[in-house]
Amino acid sequence: MNRNNKKVIHDALWQNNPIFGQVLGICSTLAVTNLVLNTMVMCLALIFTLSFSAVSVSILRRFTPRNIRMMVETLIIAFYVIIVDIMLKAYWPQMSENLGPYVGLIITNCIVMGRCEACSNSCAPAPALMDGFFNALGYTFVLLIIATFREVLGLGTFMGFAVPFFSGPYWDKWVIMVMPPGAFFMLGIVVWIFRAIQLRKE
Amino acid sequence: MTEKKWFPIIYMFIITAVFSFVLIGFTNFTSARVAANQRLAFEKAVLAVLPGLYPEGEKISSLDLHQRFVDKVLPPDETSGGAYTLRDSGKLIAYALPISGRGFWAEIKGVIGISADQKTITAVSFYQQNETPGLGAEIAKPEFRKQFHGKVILFSDKPLAFKRPGEQLDAHSINAVTGATQTCTRLEKIINDALINWQKQVKPEP
Repeated sequence: MNRNNKKVIHDALWQNNPIFGQVLGICSTLAVTNLVLNTMVMCLALIFTLSFSAVSVSILRRFTPRNIRMMVETLIIAFYVIIVDIMLKAYWPQMSENLGPYVGLIITNCIVMGRCEACSNSCAPAPALMDGFFNALGYTFVLLIIATFREVLGLGTFMGFAVPFFSGPYWDKWVIMVMPPGAFFMLGIVVWIFRAIQLRKE
Repeated sequence: MTEKKWFPIIYMFIITAVFSFVLIGFTNFTSARVAANQRLAFEKAVLAVLPGLYPEGEKISSLDLHQRFVDKVLPPDETSGGAYTLRDSGKLIAYALPISGRGFWAEIKGVIGISADQKTITAVSFYQQNETPGLGAEIAKPEFRKQFHGKVILFSDKPLAFKRPGEQLDAHSINAVTGATQTCTRLEKIINDALINWQKQVKPEP
Protein backbone atom coordinates (compact mmCIF):
# COMPACT_ATOMS: atom_id res chain seq x y z
CA MET A 1 0.00 0.00 0.00
CA ASN A 2 1.56 3.31 -1.03
CA ARG A 3 1.72 6.43 1.10
CA ASN A 4 -1.10 8.16 -0.68
CA ASN A 5 -3.53 5.35 0.11
CA LYS A 6 -2.43 5.35 3.71
CA LYS A 7 -3.12 9.03 3.92
CA VAL A 8 -6.63 8.58 2.45
CA ILE A 9 -7.43 5.91 5.03
CA HIS A 10 -5.92 7.88 7.90
CA ASP A 11 -7.85 10.97 6.85
CA ALA A 12 -11.16 9.17 6.44
CA LEU A 13 -11.01 7.23 9.69
CA TRP A 14 -9.28 9.71 11.93
CA GLN A 15 -7.86 13.08 10.88
CA ASN A 16 -10.80 14.19 8.78
CA ASN A 17 -13.43 11.74 10.06
CA PRO A 18 -16.90 12.51 8.61
CA ILE A 19 -18.50 12.74 12.06
CA PHE A 20 -16.01 14.41 14.37
CA GLY A 21 -13.75 15.99 11.74
CA GLN A 22 -16.13 17.25 9.07
CA VAL A 23 -19.26 17.04 11.25
CA LEU A 24 -21.39 15.74 8.37
CA GLY A 25 -24.24 13.23 8.39
CA ILE A 26 -25.26 14.25 11.89
CA CYS A 27 -28.99 13.86 11.20
CA SER A 28 -28.79 10.10 10.82
CA THR A 29 -26.22 9.89 13.61
CA LEU A 30 -28.80 11.33 15.96
CA ALA A 31 -31.75 9.45 14.53
CA VAL A 32 -30.77 5.80 14.20
CA THR A 33 -28.30 5.24 17.02
CA ASN A 34 -30.64 4.12 19.79
CA LEU A 35 -30.40 0.44 18.86
CA VAL A 36 -27.11 -1.16 17.81
CA LEU A 37 -28.69 -3.50 15.26
CA ASN A 38 -30.50 -0.69 13.47
CA THR A 39 -27.31 1.34 13.46
CA MET A 40 -25.38 -1.52 11.93
CA VAL A 41 -27.83 -1.98 9.06
CA MET A 42 -27.91 1.76 8.51
CA CYS A 43 -24.11 1.86 8.36
CA LEU A 44 -23.98 -1.05 5.90
CA ALA A 45 -26.47 0.80 3.73
CA LEU A 46 -24.26 3.88 3.84
CA ILE A 47 -21.11 1.90 3.04
CA PHE A 48 -22.88 0.42 0.02
CA THR A 49 -24.30 3.73 -1.18
CA LEU A 50 -21.17 5.77 -0.62
CA SER A 51 -18.81 3.24 -2.25
CA PHE A 52 -20.90 2.70 -5.34
CA SER A 53 -21.95 6.28 -5.89
CA ALA A 54 -18.32 7.33 -5.57
CA VAL A 55 -17.36 4.87 -8.31
CA SER A 56 -20.28 5.83 -10.54
CA VAL A 57 -19.67 9.54 -10.21
CA SER A 58 -16.00 8.94 -10.91
CA ILE A 59 -16.71 6.89 -14.04
CA LEU A 60 -19.04 9.57 -15.41
CA ARG A 61 -16.81 12.48 -14.38
CA ARG A 62 -15.41 13.13 -17.88
CA PHE A 63 -18.84 13.36 -19.48
CA THR A 64 -20.82 15.14 -16.81
CA PRO A 65 -21.15 18.85 -17.59
CA ARG A 66 -19.95 20.89 -14.61
CA ASN A 67 -23.08 22.98 -14.27
CA ILE A 68 -25.39 20.01 -13.75
CA ARG A 69 -22.98 17.77 -11.84
CA MET A 70 -24.84 18.02 -8.53
CA MET A 71 -28.09 16.98 -10.15
CA VAL A 72 -26.36 13.95 -11.63
CA GLU A 73 -24.72 13.11 -8.29
CA THR A 74 -28.03 13.30 -6.45
CA LEU A 75 -29.61 11.06 -9.05
CA ILE A 76 -26.85 8.47 -8.69
CA ILE A 77 -27.02 8.55 -4.89
CA ALA A 78 -30.80 8.21 -4.96
CA PHE A 79 -30.46 5.27 -7.32
CA TYR A 80 -28.34 3.27 -4.88
CA VAL A 81 -30.40 4.28 -1.86
CA ILE A 82 -33.59 3.11 -3.54
CA ILE A 83 -31.95 -0.22 -4.32
CA VAL A 84 -31.09 -0.65 -0.62
CA ASP A 85 -34.62 0.37 0.34
CA ILE A 86 -36.23 -2.10 -2.06
CA MET A 87 -33.93 -4.93 -0.96
CA LEU A 88 -34.74 -4.33 2.70
CA LYS A 89 -38.47 -4.20 1.98
CA ALA A 90 -38.33 -7.48 0.05
CA TYR A 91 -35.89 -9.52 2.12
CA TRP A 92 -35.87 -7.97 5.59
CA PRO A 93 -39.26 -6.29 6.09
CA GLN A 94 -38.82 -6.10 9.86
CA MET A 95 -35.64 -4.05 9.56
CA SER A 96 -37.17 -1.92 6.84
CA GLU A 97 -39.88 -1.00 9.32
CA ASN A 98 -37.44 -0.32 12.12
CA LEU A 99 -35.42 2.11 10.04
CA GLY A 100 -38.50 3.74 8.60
CA PRO A 101 -37.74 6.87 6.63
CA TYR A 102 -34.04 6.97 7.50
CA VAL A 103 -32.91 4.67 4.69
CA GLY A 104 -34.44 7.05 2.18
CA LEU A 105 -32.81 9.96 3.96
CA ILE A 106 -29.33 8.63 3.13
CA ILE A 107 -29.91 10.51 -0.14
CA THR A 108 -29.53 13.75 1.75
CA ASN A 109 -26.70 12.49 3.95
CA CYS A 110 -24.07 15.16 3.47
CA ILE A 111 -21.22 12.66 3.69
CA VAL A 112 -22.23 11.08 0.39
CA MET A 113 -22.61 14.35 -1.47
CA GLY A 114 -19.53 15.69 0.28
CA ARG A 115 -17.30 12.83 -0.88
CA CYS A 116 -18.69 12.98 -4.43
CA GLU A 117 -17.85 16.67 -4.57
CA ALA A 118 -14.53 16.50 -2.76
CA CYS A 119 -13.06 13.43 -4.37
CA SER A 120 -15.06 11.31 -6.82
CA ASN A 121 -15.64 13.92 -9.49
CA SER A 122 -11.93 14.65 -9.78
CA CYS A 123 -10.24 11.27 -9.45
CA ALA A 124 -10.18 7.79 -11.01
CA PRO A 125 -12.68 5.07 -9.97
CA ALA A 126 -10.28 3.05 -7.79
CA PRO A 127 -9.15 5.89 -5.50
CA ALA A 128 -12.75 7.17 -5.45
CA LEU A 129 -13.97 3.77 -4.27
CA MET A 130 -11.35 3.72 -1.55
CA ASP A 131 -12.15 7.21 -0.42
CA GLY A 132 -15.88 6.46 -0.32
CA PHE A 133 -15.51 3.15 1.44
CA PHE A 134 -13.21 4.38 4.18
CA ASN A 135 -15.21 7.51 4.80
CA ALA A 136 -18.27 5.32 5.28
CA LEU A 137 -16.21 3.18 7.65
CA GLY A 138 -15.19 6.29 9.56
CA TYR A 139 -18.87 7.11 9.95
CA THR A 140 -19.67 3.53 10.93
CA PHE A 141 -17.28 3.15 13.81
CA VAL A 142 -18.30 6.43 15.45
CA LEU A 143 -21.99 5.53 15.11
CA LEU A 144 -21.45 2.11 16.61
CA ILE A 145 -19.72 3.64 19.65
CA ILE A 146 -22.62 6.04 20.15
CA ALA A 147 -25.23 3.34 19.62
CA THR A 148 -23.57 0.93 22.05
CA PHE A 149 -23.58 3.48 24.85
CA ARG A 150 -27.14 4.57 24.12
CA GLU A 151 -28.60 1.09 24.00
CA VAL A 152 -26.73 -0.29 27.01
CA LEU A 153 -27.34 2.72 29.26
CA GLY A 154 -30.86 3.40 28.04
CA LEU A 155 -32.36 -0.06 27.59
CA GLY A 156 -29.89 -2.38 29.34
CA THR A 157 -29.47 -4.45 26.16
CA PHE A 158 -26.89 -4.89 23.41
CA MET A 159 -28.20 -5.98 19.98
CA GLY A 160 -31.40 -6.92 21.82
CA PHE A 161 -29.66 -9.21 24.34
CA ALA A 162 -29.81 -8.31 28.01
CA VAL A 163 -26.49 -7.04 29.37
CA PRO A 164 -25.64 -8.21 32.92
CA PHE A 165 -25.95 -5.48 35.55
CA PHE A 166 -27.40 -2.90 33.14
CA SER A 167 -30.55 -4.97 32.67
CA GLY A 168 -30.70 -5.86 36.38
CA PRO A 169 -32.57 -4.18 39.21
CA TYR A 170 -29.56 -2.13 40.41
CA TRP A 171 -29.38 -0.13 37.22
CA ASP A 172 -32.04 2.50 36.84
CA LYS A 173 -32.28 2.66 33.03
CA TRP A 174 -31.46 6.08 31.62
CA VAL A 175 -34.46 6.32 29.32
CA ILE A 176 -33.26 9.72 28.14
CA MET A 177 -30.36 7.98 26.36
CA VAL A 178 -32.64 6.36 23.78
CA MET A 179 -34.61 9.57 23.34
CA PRO A 180 -33.39 12.34 21.00
CA PRO A 181 -31.67 14.36 23.76
CA GLY A 182 -29.52 11.33 24.60
CA ALA A 183 -28.22 11.36 21.03
CA PHE A 184 -27.12 14.97 21.37
CA PHE A 185 -25.34 14.27 24.66
CA MET A 186 -23.56 11.20 23.31
CA LEU A 187 -22.57 12.87 20.04
CA GLY A 188 -21.25 15.90 21.92
CA ILE A 189 -19.22 13.74 24.29
CA VAL A 190 -17.81 11.56 21.50
CA VAL A 191 -16.81 14.55 19.35
CA TRP A 192 -15.27 16.20 22.40
CA ILE A 193 -13.19 13.15 23.35
CA PHE A 194 -11.94 12.45 19.83
CA ARG A 195 -11.14 16.07 19.12
CA ALA A 196 -9.28 16.36 22.42
CA ILE A 197 -7.12 13.37 21.48
CA GLN A 198 -6.52 14.86 18.03
CA LEU A 199 -5.49 18.20 19.46
CA ARG A 200 -3.18 16.65 22.00
CA LYS A 201 -1.40 14.72 19.23
CA GLU A 202 -0.91 17.90 17.26
CA MET B 1 -19.94 18.06 -28.40
CA THR B 2 -19.84 18.48 -24.64
CA GLU B 3 -19.58 22.25 -25.14
CA LYS B 4 -22.95 22.49 -26.87
CA LYS B 5 -25.82 24.18 -25.05
CA TRP B 6 -28.17 21.23 -25.47
CA PHE B 7 -25.68 18.67 -24.22
CA PRO B 8 -26.51 18.92 -20.47
CA ILE B 9 -30.21 18.42 -21.22
CA ILE B 10 -29.66 15.34 -23.38
CA TYR B 11 -27.12 14.02 -20.90
CA MET B 12 -29.45 14.40 -17.92
CA PHE B 13 -32.25 12.83 -19.90
CA ILE B 14 -30.19 9.78 -20.85
CA ILE B 15 -28.75 9.31 -17.35
CA THR B 16 -32.19 9.55 -15.76
CA ALA B 17 -33.67 7.11 -18.25
CA VAL B 18 -30.92 4.53 -17.72
CA PHE B 19 -31.06 4.63 -13.92
CA SER B 20 -34.85 4.66 -13.88
CA PHE B 21 -35.01 1.61 -16.11
CA VAL B 22 -32.78 -0.36 -13.79
CA LEU B 23 -34.87 0.71 -10.78
CA ILE B 24 -38.13 -0.20 -12.48
CA GLY B 25 -36.65 -3.60 -13.17
CA PHE B 26 -35.65 -3.99 -9.54
CA THR B 27 -39.06 -2.92 -8.29
CA ASN B 28 -40.86 -5.31 -10.60
CA PHE B 29 -38.56 -8.12 -9.65
CA THR B 30 -39.26 -7.69 -5.94
CA SER B 31 -42.83 -6.34 -5.98
CA ALA B 32 -44.46 -9.74 -5.58
CA ARG B 33 -42.22 -10.46 -2.62
CA VAL B 34 -42.89 -7.11 -1.00
CA ALA B 35 -46.64 -7.55 -1.40
CA ALA B 36 -46.43 -11.09 -0.02
CA ASN B 37 -44.45 -9.83 2.98
CA GLN B 38 -47.10 -7.25 3.74
CA ARG B 39 -49.89 -9.74 3.34
CA LEU B 40 -48.08 -12.24 5.56
CA ALA B 41 -47.47 -9.65 8.27
CA PHE B 42 -51.21 -9.01 8.35
CA GLU B 43 -52.10 -12.70 8.43
CA LYS B 44 -49.61 -13.27 11.21
CA ALA B 45 -51.19 -10.48 13.25
CA VAL B 46 -54.68 -11.93 12.76
CA LEU B 47 -53.57 -15.42 13.79
CA ALA B 48 -51.75 -14.01 16.81
CA VAL B 49 -54.90 -12.47 18.30
CA LEU B 50 -57.18 -15.46 17.75
CA PRO B 51 -56.99 -17.96 20.61
CA GLY B 52 -54.74 -20.97 20.05
CA LEU B 53 -53.84 -20.33 16.40
CA TYR B 54 -50.37 -18.82 16.72
CA PRO B 55 -48.85 -19.03 20.20
CA GLU B 56 -46.20 -16.41 21.01
CA GLY B 57 -42.74 -17.64 20.01
CA GLU B 58 -43.89 -20.56 17.85
CA LYS B 59 -41.47 -21.36 15.01
CA ILE B 60 -43.39 -21.88 11.79
CA SER B 61 -42.56 -21.33 8.14
CA SER B 62 -44.23 -18.52 6.23
CA LEU B 63 -45.94 -20.98 3.94
CA ASP B 64 -47.48 -22.99 6.79
CA LEU B 65 -48.58 -19.78 8.44
CA HIS B 66 -50.36 -18.65 5.30
CA GLN B 67 -51.98 -22.08 4.95
CA ARG B 68 -53.19 -21.92 8.54
CA PHE B 69 -54.73 -18.51 7.89
CA VAL B 70 -56.52 -19.78 4.79
CA ASP B 71 -57.77 -22.90 6.60
CA LYS B 72 -58.98 -21.39 9.85
CA VAL B 73 -59.80 -17.72 9.49
CA LEU B 74 -63.01 -16.59 7.82
CA PRO B 75 -63.18 -13.23 6.04
CA PRO B 76 -65.49 -10.49 7.37
CA ASP B 77 -69.18 -11.31 6.86
CA GLU B 78 -72.44 -9.34 7.30
CA THR B 79 -72.71 -10.02 11.04
CA SER B 80 -69.09 -9.55 12.09
CA GLY B 81 -68.89 -5.77 11.66
CA GLY B 82 -65.80 -5.84 9.47
CA ALA B 83 -63.89 -8.28 11.65
CA TYR B 84 -62.36 -11.58 10.56
CA THR B 85 -63.80 -14.51 12.48
CA LEU B 86 -62.75 -17.85 13.87
CA ARG B 87 -65.53 -20.46 13.95
CA ASP B 88 -65.71 -24.04 15.11
CA SER B 89 -68.28 -25.86 12.96
CA GLY B 90 -70.31 -22.69 12.59
CA LYS B 91 -70.15 -21.59 16.21
CA LEU B 92 -68.32 -18.32 16.67
CA ILE B 93 -65.18 -18.43 18.82
CA ALA B 94 -63.55 -15.04 18.31
CA TYR B 95 -63.35 -11.90 16.19
CA ALA B 96 -60.18 -10.35 14.77
CA LEU B 97 -60.80 -6.68 14.10
CA PRO B 98 -58.24 -4.84 11.90
CA ILE B 99 -57.46 -1.33 13.11
CA SER B 100 -55.41 1.45 11.58
CA GLY B 101 -54.74 5.11 12.02
CA ARG B 102 -52.10 7.77 12.32
CA GLY B 103 -49.38 7.21 14.89
CA PHE B 104 -46.71 9.71 15.90
CA TRP B 105 -44.49 9.17 12.84
CA ALA B 106 -46.51 7.05 10.46
CA GLU B 107 -49.58 4.91 10.20
CA ILE B 108 -50.08 2.22 12.84
CA LYS B 109 -51.87 -0.92 11.70
CA GLY B 110 -52.87 -3.77 13.93
CA VAL B 111 -55.51 -6.31 14.87
CA ILE B 112 -57.63 -6.64 18.02
CA GLY B 113 -58.92 -10.05 19.01
CA ILE B 114 -62.31 -10.08 20.73
CA SER B 115 -63.97 -13.18 22.12
CA ALA B 116 -67.49 -14.38 21.24
CA ASP B 117 -69.10 -12.40 24.09
CA GLN B 118 -68.21 -9.31 21.99
CA LYS B 119 -66.59 -7.49 24.91
CA THR B 120 -63.54 -9.41 26.19
CA ILE B 121 -60.26 -8.73 24.41
CA THR B 122 -58.25 -11.86 23.68
CA ALA B 123 -55.09 -10.19 22.36
CA VAL B 124 -53.74 -7.26 20.40
CA SER B 125 -51.09 -7.31 17.72
CA PHE B 126 -49.46 -4.69 15.48
CA TYR B 127 -48.09 -5.46 12.05
CA GLN B 128 -47.13 -2.01 10.90
CA GLN B 129 -45.76 0.84 12.96
CA ASN B 130 -42.94 3.31 12.66
CA GLU B 131 -42.82 4.71 16.17
CA THR B 132 -39.58 5.74 17.90
CA PRO B 133 -37.49 2.63 18.61
CA GLY B 134 -37.21 2.03 22.34
CA LEU B 135 -40.15 4.33 23.12
CA GLY B 136 -43.28 4.38 20.98
CA ALA B 137 -42.20 1.16 19.30
CA GLU B 138 -42.63 -0.59 22.68
CA ILE B 139 -46.32 -0.89 21.80
CA ALA B 140 -45.40 -3.79 19.55
CA LYS B 141 -43.55 -5.63 22.35
CA PRO B 142 -45.27 -8.48 24.23
CA GLU B 143 -44.89 -6.71 27.62
CA PHE B 144 -47.17 -3.92 26.47
CA ARG B 145 -49.57 -6.03 24.43
CA LYS B 146 -50.09 -8.59 27.21
CA GLN B 147 -51.89 -5.91 29.21
CA PHE B 148 -54.84 -6.16 26.84
CA HIS B 149 -55.55 -9.82 27.57
CA GLY B 150 -58.91 -10.23 29.27
CA LYS B 151 -59.77 -6.54 29.35
CA VAL B 152 -63.47 -5.82 28.95
CA ILE B 153 -64.53 -3.10 26.54
CA LEU B 154 -67.28 -0.72 27.64
CA PHE B 155 -70.28 0.61 25.73
CA SER B 156 -69.26 4.24 26.06
CA ASP B 157 -67.31 6.88 24.19
CA LYS B 158 -64.15 5.29 25.61
CA PRO B 159 -64.39 1.51 25.51
CA LEU B 160 -60.79 1.12 26.69
CA ALA B 161 -58.75 3.70 28.62
CA PHE B 162 -54.98 4.28 28.57
CA LYS B 163 -53.73 5.38 31.98
CA ARG B 164 -50.43 6.85 33.07
CA PRO B 165 -47.64 4.32 33.63
CA GLY B 166 -47.92 2.88 37.12
CA GLU B 167 -51.46 4.08 37.74
CA GLN B 168 -54.06 1.74 39.26
CA LEU B 169 -55.94 -0.22 36.61
CA ASP B 170 -59.43 -1.67 36.36
CA ALA B 171 -60.90 -4.18 33.91
CA HIS B 172 -61.28 -1.50 31.22
CA SER B 173 -57.86 0.16 31.23
CA ILE B 174 -54.18 -0.43 30.56
CA ASN B 175 -50.95 1.46 31.31
CA ALA B 176 -49.43 3.64 28.61
CA VAL B 177 -45.71 3.45 27.70
CA THR B 178 -43.30 5.74 29.57
CA GLY B 179 -41.88 8.46 27.35
CA ALA B 180 -44.25 7.70 24.47
CA THR B 181 -47.15 10.04 25.22
CA GLN B 182 -47.77 10.95 21.59
CA THR B 183 -47.82 7.36 20.38
CA CYS B 184 -50.10 6.26 23.21
CA THR B 185 -52.56 9.13 22.82
CA ARG B 186 -52.92 8.34 19.15
CA LEU B 187 -53.06 4.60 19.68
CA GLU B 188 -55.79 5.06 22.28
CA LYS B 189 -57.80 7.01 19.73
CA ILE B 190 -57.20 4.46 16.98
CA ILE B 191 -58.31 1.58 19.21
CA ASN B 192 -61.33 3.35 20.66
CA ASP B 193 -62.55 4.68 17.31
CA ALA B 194 -62.30 1.20 15.85
CA LEU B 195 -64.05 -0.42 18.82
CA ILE B 196 -66.92 2.09 18.89
CA ASN B 197 -67.41 1.72 15.17
CA TRP B 198 -67.36 -2.05 15.50
CA GLN B 199 -69.81 -2.09 18.41
CA LYS B 200 -72.26 -0.21 16.19
CA GLN B 201 -71.96 -2.62 13.28
CA VAL B 202 -71.58 -6.05 14.80
CA LYS B 203 -74.72 -8.15 15.06
CA PRO B 204 -75.47 -10.43 18.01
CA GLU B 205 -74.63 -14.07 17.33
CA PRO B 206 -77.67 -16.35 17.08
